[in-house]
Amino acid sequence: MNDDNNILVDGFRRLIADTVTPARVREVEETLSPASLWEALHASGFLDMLVPEDAGGAGLMLPDIFPLLLVLGEYAVPVPFAETMVARGMLSARGVSAPEDALIVLAPASATLPFGKLVTHALVARDDGLHLVEAQGKGDDIFGAAGALGLTSGASVGRVPGSSDDLMIGAAAVASAQMAGAMSRMLEMTLRHAGERAQFGRPLGKFQAIQQQIAVLAEQVISCQVAARTAFSGTSFDPVRVAAAKCRAGEASNLVCGISHAVHGAIGATAEFDLQLYSRRLKQWQLAFGSQQYWATRLGMARAAPGNPNTADFLRRNLAWEIVS
Amino acid sequence: MTLSVENFPAAVLPPHAEALRQEVKAFIAEHAGALPAHQRARSWSGFDVGFSRALAARGWVGLTVPVEYGGPGLDPYCRFVLVEELLAAGAPVAAHWIGDRQSAPLLLHYGTEEQRRTFLPGICKGELFFCIGMSEPNSGSDLASVRTRAEKTEGGWRLNGQKIWTTYAHKSHYMIALVRTSGTSEDRQNGLSQFLVDLSLPGVTVNPIALGTGDADFNEVFFEDVLLPADSLVGEEGNGWKQVNAELAFERSGPERIYSSLVLLDLWAQLLGPTPDPADAARLGKLVARLAPLREMSVSMTALLAAGKSPLTEAALFKDMGTEVEQQIPEEIADAVAARPDFVPDAELMRTLAYIMQASHVFSLRGGTREILRGMIARGLGLR
Repeated sequence: MNDDNNILVDGFRRLIADTVTPARVREVEETLSPASLWEALHASGFLDMLVPEDAGGAGLMLPDIFPLLLVLGEYAVPVPFAETMVARGMLSARGVSAPEDALIVLAPASATLPFGKLVTHALVARDDGLHLVEAQGKGDDIFGAAGALGLTSGASVGRVPGSSDDLMIGAAAVASAQMAGAMSRMLEMTLRHAGERAQFGRPLGKFQAIQQQIAVLAEQVISCQVAARTAFSGTSFDPVRVAAAKCRAGEASNLVCGISHAVHGAIGATAEFDLQLYSRRLKQWQLAFGSQQYWATRLGMARAAPGNPNTADFLRRNLAWEIVS
Repeated sequence: MTLSVENFPAAVLPPHAEALRQEVKAFIAEHAGALPAHQRARSWSGFDVGFSRALAARGWVGLTVPVEYGGPGLDPYCRFVLVEELLAAGAPVAAHWIGDRQSAPLLLHYGTEEQRRTFLPGICKGELFFCIGMSEPNSGSDLASVRTRAEKTEGGWRLNGQKIWTTYAHKSHYMIALVRTSGTSEDRQNGLSQFLVDLSLPGVTVNPIALGTGDADFNEVFFEDVLLPADSLVGEEGNGWKQVNAELAFERSGPERIYSSLVLLDLWAQLLGPTPDPADAARLGKLVARLAPLREMSVSMTALLAAGKSPLTEAALFKDMGTEVEQQIPEEIADAVAARPDFVPDAELMRTLAYIMQASHVFSLRGGTREILRGMIARGLGLR
């Protein structure tokens, strides 16, 4: 990452840290009213990171926005900021602009739809391409995180070429990156708690049994971050790279939630403690846009397809970081 | 303090390294292509002097050794490509493996000019094979407690003690041994030194240790008043612990920590065919998903090593996860194969599977146990 990008990420992190406090996250979850938070974030200009420069955006690429999505996950940002950013990029690449104040999700077929209760619009697949439609979430918010089980969609306000699978791949990629960010915050919180909480006369982090568990936690977080980073390399989302990222994120979420909650004890599950803000979101994302099994099957089929002499070749050709020239 | 993706900067193998790949593939096809899978599954445990000599004749043993010492002087990226191809194919690399991976870099780093000129050309020609003397009967994970001792004599050293689990000592010419030169095992990391031990010297006895698999790669090695010349000391007297640790980032960061079960995985995948049953595809995909970020991390650490960094904690984290996948591969495949009792599985798959199912216990022991590595990660996280 170059210096310009570091400055960008640092600026974004400050914005999110100042704007999206845990109190603000809870407020949006309870009221389902994202307006004031959205206004503050929208004014930052970061929603147009992927919009081409000649259309008034920053003209950045997927690898540039990956660290921003990690930050969104780290702060449990309770609004579809990443989703809207990516949707605006997909639309503007084809000369379509989204309504300025739209909260957008990518909505492929999915068992749950994170942020569904907050959206004004959604990208959906129809026979003739992807449509930006007016939309409202429907069904229960089963994780209390402003999610929905589906959408009631209205009129189309824009259309771009694309398939339902493109939508699935994009949605899974955006989820994987935010999941990796959320997991890294759970690691950080677990380290802090293990340093502060004492039992049997010493901090939890001094017990070898706890140290070994937290080492596993760190491994899982880094594995997911690396897999998600690779899914954001190149110029567009690739189904194989995204499959590995979402498969890993889905699998690792179980260990990450399990270990961090175990180290925290019951306090971690309480409403007033922040840990559950993250684990609730991870669980919701596990159910969204294809599970570990779904993506593992697709990845296995891709590996088994003719033309792959061995797994090392497959990894090198399909699952390595791709430089944007 | 924490560990994150920032510890593994995104990196790619440069074109000059990738340019080597097709040549290596062709070489392997010619020299190891006929080996059956259950033999290729021995991977970096497969010992074949003929193969190592042929590889050396191509200039591919001691790849990073400078030209003045008999090597081609290529960089770590080229070595990554070479090693990745050798391991993916299950080429029998054990004869030159330790000399190539550890002894040559150690001598380049810490050896005297004379030691470099004496040993490096022989390593690069595939004529000198090395083993590593670390563990002792009472020093396994607790390596700093070693008791084998070298005492100064007139004109050299007198070596007494015992090493164990020494891979291919019975087929190697030299051992690089970590031994005590001062103090007692109470002094821990202080007072340890590294020596080049000529295994043909009087007083050296090598006894094989048979494994349950029928393999006999391991040995116990006894030293009884072995007289070593003064110039057999490697690096500084008393600096052995530091020298050993400097090697660890090399030893733990390479593709050998994720590819030990790859021959099995690829044989199974081949037998599944192009349109596997969804349950088998999911098993295959889950394993590929675990391997993918690990290969990225290994490439990243290669770049860090090429830049002169020593990613020790990163390598511990990578190796712990890597050996876990190496062990999950036989677990998943065994479960898949026996899920259809009425189906007669391929005989070569069964031989290969049986070998890896038994050998895989050791994957997370060699080169630092799981518990030691997790302890290092915990230290990296600031918990210790």
